[in-house]
Amino acid sequence: MVSLVIPSDISFVVLTAVTIIGAIMALQAKELIYGAIALAISFIGIAGFFALLDAPYLAMLQIAIYVGAVVVLILFTIMLVRRERGEEMDKRTDAAEGSMGLWLAGLLALAISGVVALAGTSLPTQAPAASLPVSDLGPALTLQYPVPLIILALLLSAALLGALVLAKVER
Amino acid sequence: MALNPWLAIIIWAIIIIVLTGPMLTLPMFWSRMKPDPFRDMPFESGQVPQGEARHRLVMQYYPYLLMFVVFDVVGMFLFAWGISFTRLPLNASAFVILFIVLLGAPLGYALKLALNKENW
Amino acid sequence: MVVFPPTTPAELIALILRVITSHTFITIIIFPGFIHLTLVVIFLTWYERKLLARIQLRIGPLYAGGPGGILQPLADGVKLIFKEVMIPYKASKPLFLGIPLMMVFLSALPFAVIPFGQHWVIANIDVGLVFVFAMTSLFPSMILIFAWASNSKYPFLGGLRSLFQQVAYEIPMWISTLSVVLLAGSLNLVDIVKAQEKMWFIVPAFLSFIVFFIAIMAELERLPFDLPEAEPELVAGWYTEASGAIFMLIFMGLYMKLYLMSSLVTVLFLGGWWGPAFLPQPVWFIIKTLIVATFIIIPRGVYPRIRVDMLIKTGWTRLLIIALANIFLTILLINSGLLAAWGI
Repeated sequence: MVSLVIPSDISFVVLTAVTIIGAIMALQAKELIYGAIALAISFIGIAGFFALLDAPYLAMLQIAIYVGAVVVLILFTIMLVRRERGEEMDKRTDAAEGSMGLWLAGLLALAISGVVALAGTSLPTQAPAASLPVSDLGPALTLQYPVPLIILALLLSAALLGALVLAKVER
Repeated sequence: MALNPWLAIIIWAIIIIVLTGPMLTLPMFWSRMKPDPFRDMPFESGQVPQGEARHRLVMQYYPYLLMFVVFDVVGMFLFAWGISFTRLPLNASAFVILFIVLLGAPLGYALKLALNKENW
Repeated sequence: MVVFPPTTPAELIALILRVITSHTFITIIIFPGFIHLTLVVIFLTWYERKLLARIQLRIGPLYAGGPGGILQPLADGVKLIFKEVMIPYKASKPLFLGIPLMMVFLSALPFAVIPFGQHWVIANIDVGLVFVFAMTSLFPSMILIFAWASNSKYPFLGGLRSLFQQVAYEIPMWISTLSVVLLAGSLNLVDIVKAQEKMWFIVPAFLSFIVFFIAIMAELERLPFDLPEAEPELVAGWYTEASGAIFMLIFMGLYMKLYLMSSLVTVLFLGGWWGPAFLPQPVWFIIKTLIVATFIIIPRGVYPRIRVDMLIKTGWTRLLIIALANIFLTILLINSGLLAAWGI
């Protein structure tokens, strides 16, 4: 079990930049497909955060589920929308003010995170949590949390059947 | 030099992009890339393309995309359990077996809905 | 004595020598790194053409230098680099140019965790198997984006079919490897191979080997799962509009994926690098991987194509149910104690 000793300030700032800029581009993009791709990049940034926090399994889970399945579903849904409607959405009246606000918020977040990252050890910190090996997940799921596991099965079934029943054509 | 494996992956990623990037950027220097409206028309076996290129969508397989999202999550949880299966007592793994069995009936009903072409 | 930062030329040379002969550099650049990967991918393109030619009673590449046209892929590469890159009318230029590079990147990235020998692995991470699966699950979305970006009907239809086909076979692929994870007790690919020292996992997990093999043939879009690129119907499927360097990048990405999946079969089921000691471990790995690649290529010359809706239905109904039932079979097998002689 290897703990991650990448210089955490550089990677933290890079990941923050990727995530926030991806999220802003996802909201601002003129073509919806570019927005979905920017959303995927933002999700990959979040997966990088999980890897940085010593949870590599969660990072892979994030990439496989969010970027691999949810973004595909979003893209497919975007392609269902016809192009004429996409062009009409451009004519927003307060577009400039909205985007300025977003960019300012994003830059502020980036600046704060950069300062925090580069301040390093002179900030009051807690002791970092112990890093868990991946093999601890199995015993935790089954011995510690068996009832949430069964509830999770019911929840997934409800989500699956609900989505299918809602999406099908009523005849 | 015992290198952190994640750092090795990042170095490998950078090396891939640096060494295969020229395959994309160099042809932009030495090959023609002039747009030509007749040559660049989408290929439709010789006829003039008609209609919107992106407007027809096949909805017949849409339920499979929804099922994919759910079973993606299921697969990830099963991987988390599978690592420590041989080290757990059997009554602990019984919960995961119950997890899979509980998903069986909804899977069957979802497949029944998905295979019925008139629903989509 | 290596000093960083180097002040004299002698120290610079010492530092360079130390970096070049370090294990990390050799694994990343030479073997199983970039040079080995490109050479094997180039070899695989030639190998496939020769093999298919022999199955179809032809000769295949013959004249391009060397015996049996071994320099044919090099000639193809040179030709494709100098060809004109035609971007379709109103296609999305950044996506059209950027996605093929991303495909090559995503096909080559999982090679960082595949172990070619006991110490020949670039990155020995604890979640290796899930890393490979996470990277391969990004492929359907990239194919969909590329098919949308080429503003044309054939690629779009082909891209949709390809998306649904790959998504359908992704879940049986994952769940069938669950048996291997149950038997080995780890997601680390090096540990999985080490657990096969006494018996290859193809013996206790034979059903999951079959399911995995079928699923990767559908993931790689190889015949008989070829409909997204069916030549009489869709010209070339989702990469119809790709030409020149773009096509070469996509082509390389597809063959890298072939090599990746074959080496994954070797790692998971065929015992990785274990073999009698008269050959070094990486050689055994490459031999087994090439045998698996042969068995993936051969059906292309033999079987007819399967219709796409039957394909997707089979993936979701039969293959998924077999994979799920296989988990219970493996649990029974492990608990019955039959495998105790081999340490499971």
